[in-house]
Amino acid sequence: MAPRRPYWRGYLKLSLVTCPVAMSPATSDSEKVRFHTLNKQTGNRVVSQFVDSVTGKSVKEENEAKGYERGENDYVLLTDDELESVELETVRTIDIEKFVPRESIEWVYLETPHYLMPNDKIGNEAFAVIRDAMEADDVLGISRVVIGRRERAVVLEPRGKGIVVWTLRFGDEVRPEGEYFQEIEKKADPKTVEVIKTMIKPRMEKWSPSMVTDPIQESLLKLIASKKKGLKPTRKTDSKKDKSEKPSNVINIMDALKKSVEADLKGRRKSG
Amino acid sequence: MAAHRAQWKGHIKIGELSCGVGLYTAASTSDRITFHTVNAATGNRVRREFIDSETEETVERDEQVKGFDVGDNQYIMIDPEELTAVIPDSDKMLEIEAFLPCSDIDDVYFDKPYYLVPTDDVSEDMFAGLREALKEASVTAIARTVLFRRMRTVLIRAHGRGLIATTLNFDYEVRSSEEAFKEMPSIKVDGEMLDLAKHIISTKKGDFDPAQFEDRYEKALADLVKAKAEGKTLPKPKPVKVSKPNDLLKALRESAGMGKAKPKKAANANARRSKKAVADKSNGKTPQKKAS
Repeated sequence: MAPRRPYWRGYLKLSLVTCPVAMSPATSDSEKVRFHTLNKQTGNRVVSQFVDSVTGKSVKEENEAKGYERGENDYVLLTDDELESVELETVRTIDIEKFVPRESIEWVYLETPHYLMPNDKIGNEAFAVIRDAMEADDVLGISRVVIGRRERAVVLEPRGKGIVVWTLRFGDEVRPEGEYFQEIEKKADPKTVEVIKTMIKPRMEKWSPSMVTDPIQESLLKLIASKKKGLKPTRKTDSKKDKSEKPSNVINIMDALKKSVEADLKGRRKSG
Repeated sequence: MAAHRAQWKGHIKIGELSCGVGLYTAASTSDRITFHTVNAATGNRVRREFIDSETEETVERDEQVKGFDVGDNQYIMIDPEELTAVIPDSDKMLEIEAFLPCSDIDDVYFDKPYYLVPTDDVSEDMFAGLREALKEASVTAIARTVLFRRMRTVLIRAHGRGLIATTLNFDYEVRSSEEAFKEMPSIKVDGEMLDLAKHIISTKKGDFDPAQFEDRYEKALADLVKAKAEGKTLPKPKPVKVSKPNDLLKALRESAGMGKAKPKKAANANARRSKKAVADKSNGKTPQKKAS
């Protein structure tokens, strides 16, 4: 994957130590098969445009402004530069306020991971001091930062040469587990537990990204490739297809794809 | 319980054992709209319309179809039936393929969490057994099934009386931390600098409950809007002072309350020193009011 451009630049701060940093998301859907919307009639792309809700006329891009609703149909317009003036230090600075033991943040709160690194060599050593001290103490840093016009709680975790920054979900975004788990009342039968534990051992594996492949994306790519060739018979081991000189019909390709996905999955399960 | 609807119902399977489970969304995204897009020329709100990029005519939803960009402004139309055919039939079976030590998970793959709950009384026996076995062995389980029209890998772990299943992002969606950080210089910090930084950490140790966190952005924005509406000049962001390599040790010492403070900073330095004295007495566990 190509290196990602940082999407946030600012400062990392611990007490009186401050260093310039850049942050980029650890995940991206840039390699996901993406579809566009087409007009079925013309085959042209469908694009969205803004229309004035009162006059019904299309709005030029330079006239699109961010409006903060003061009253009904009464907006205060703000430019991006003006928004930079918001008086919150967390717009630019991740000031580590607190440290908590590792594993003390519930997984359900972890929302989006980001990679944080120095943005100028002037800060390399300060960054390393903060990172190594957290590592040595086995703690996570707690801070807040403004991302996407919201102030987010974040957790900082030293990892390798850098720091992973997780945005945390807001309290009202995590559903109370009690409402789901309270009716589970049975105690486990020790015999069942022992049986399952004996099944765990032979199935222990090391984590590998091969556990998160996407067979459906592979099928989509095959589907696209086959359509791209104008449905010419593909040079695969499938002899049936080679016999038919005429373009094979779509349904057969679909069946074949479906079978290959299913075979792939079955194979994976057996080997697992 | 009746108030919640399962996103998915099926079975967890390990070897020949299985139990019925329901999968419930554990977290949702609450969208807070702070801004509307407004036509600066008229001051009216705008709405979105979908138009043909060539003819500029409005395209209704039932006239829209998916297409794949093959370059040179050429698109392949894909029918919904063709897409459906690519998705294997779901056997509604979360079959456990492997177990991993809890410490061996690369959490940057985490996508969304779901609560797993047994569907009936009989299933609860096996459910409770699996939960306790995962706890006692300190492991999580990896399972796959067709979920939301994709073949998804989920990580299942014990949590309280229940199980939590986290969908994992696909391999091509995640960049590894090694790769992200590979350009960074390798600097190891030790000696006095590390000790000072560890001391600073010890004065800031505490608990954190994410549920109690409050977003202050909206309030700050409302203040900004008020200032603008009243025609006041908006404040310029304060420049941030970066610690220079030569000053790093000094900044650490001062942060730790051990610096020789300059005369003009005497008051601050004293305040810091006294805080440090308190922190030392209580073994560094003084809660810091400043943090909230």
